[in-house]
Amino acid sequence: MNIAVFGMGCPKCKATEQNVREACKALGIDAEVTHVADPREFARAGVRMTPAVVVDGTVLFSGKVPTVEELKEALQKLRS
Amino acid sequence: MRDVVVAGLLALRDYVATHVLTCLVPAFLLAGGIVSFVNREVILEYLGEKRSKLSSFSLASIASFFVAACSCTVIPVASGLYFGGASIGVAFIILWVAPATNILALTYTGSLLGASMALARVVAAIIMAFLVGSTMSLVFQKEHTAPAPSGESQPKGAILEKRSALLLFLVLLSLLLPNYLIRSGPYLHKVILWAVLTVLFAVYAKLTLPPKAIREWLRETLWFVRLIFPLLLLGVFVVGVIGKLLPETWIRAWLGGNSMRSSFLATLIGAISYFATLTEAPFVSTLMKLGMGKGPALALLLTGPGLSLPNWLAIARVFGGKKALVYVTTIVLLGTVVGWFFGNFIFAP
Repeated sequence: MNIAVFGMGCPKCKATEQNVREACKALGIDAEVTHVADPREFARAGVRMTPAVVVDGTVLFSGKVPTVEELKEALQKLRS
Repeated sequence: MRDVVVAGLLALRDYVATHVLTCLVPAFLLAGGIVSFVNREVILEYLGEKRSKLSSFSLASIASFFVAACSCTVIPVASGLYFGGASIGVAFIILWVAPATNILALTYTGSLLGASMALARVVAAIIMAFLVGSTMSLVFQKEHTAPAPSGESQPKGAILEKRSALLLFLVLLSLLLPNYLIRSGPYLHKVILWAVLTVLFAVYAKLTLPPKAIREWLRETLWFVRLIFPLLLLGVFVVGVIGKLLPETWIRAWLGGNSMRSSFLATLIGAISYFATLTEAPFVSTLMKLGMGKGPALALLLTGPGLSLPNWLAIARVFGGKKALVYVTTIVLLGTVVGWFFGNFIFAP
């Protein structure tokens, strides 16, 4: 699973990345978490608002910092 | 040295203590509400559509109020629009208007410097937005290679639900009424009116919204507080210190009156130095007490939060150096003229 956090290094984006890592750890998912900071990539991925979480090309969250719980729920749904 | 620190602390007491409850708390709640209740994705969809310049520029100016309230989100939003196919004019209007006049900045400006200054700030920012948008699209008309958005509009979700719209309106009342109904008398009167209105919207929220929505709203509000409040405290302290150190005669000589030169200098200070969101208002208020004219004050209010050296570099990195150069030059020229014009013809006694 490839999880990308989109954001230009603002505190909200860092918090998002941390929550993503925590959610993965809690679920035991061995995912590659990357941080995309180039705004040109945002448009290409269909991300309008940052911070955004994109899993294998699908935008799961955008424009807010998802909580660990929300991330767990969404990731679980993707896995099943 | 001690004097200087005391001046900084006094400024903190003046600007923050008397504004936290009746101005900052409701403003943060309003900004948080806008972020969590307003469907910004839908607004951005509208902005990406093909339409006439007049309508897309107006839409972009209005949308900026709702799309981003802090400068850290505005560059990704603007570049996302640009690389997603919106016109360059629209992208730079968002880039300009959102920090120059967002809801937080406006309310703080209004309560520190008066409603007329806040109103001037909105009007001037929107006039400048149209000119900046036109300039950018004129200069870079041919360069835009991003895929053009499809002309037909798809069905979209609602921008804002009725219930949350009414809630935002109530929060807005709790922000405006204490500051505009009670102009004199002890600060406590304002606090009482604020408390009554706050209880009112809290009850309304509890009755109409699901707990999840309320939690989300408070979470977004807390983000604004966390991001902006520490910088505001620091900024206000620094402003107090600067006000103590700068000789009044300098301010009068360089920024006094409403001449083109003072306006240009004020614009330049605003365009180069970094102001954390909201700190421009106490800075301008301090300088005005030391003799800065109203026109230059407006120019500094406009360019302060919208532009800074780090911000130029970020824009250059994302949009390219040439666009950044044209943008910054246009803003500095326009800021100077707008400051001069408002100082001589609008604020003139």
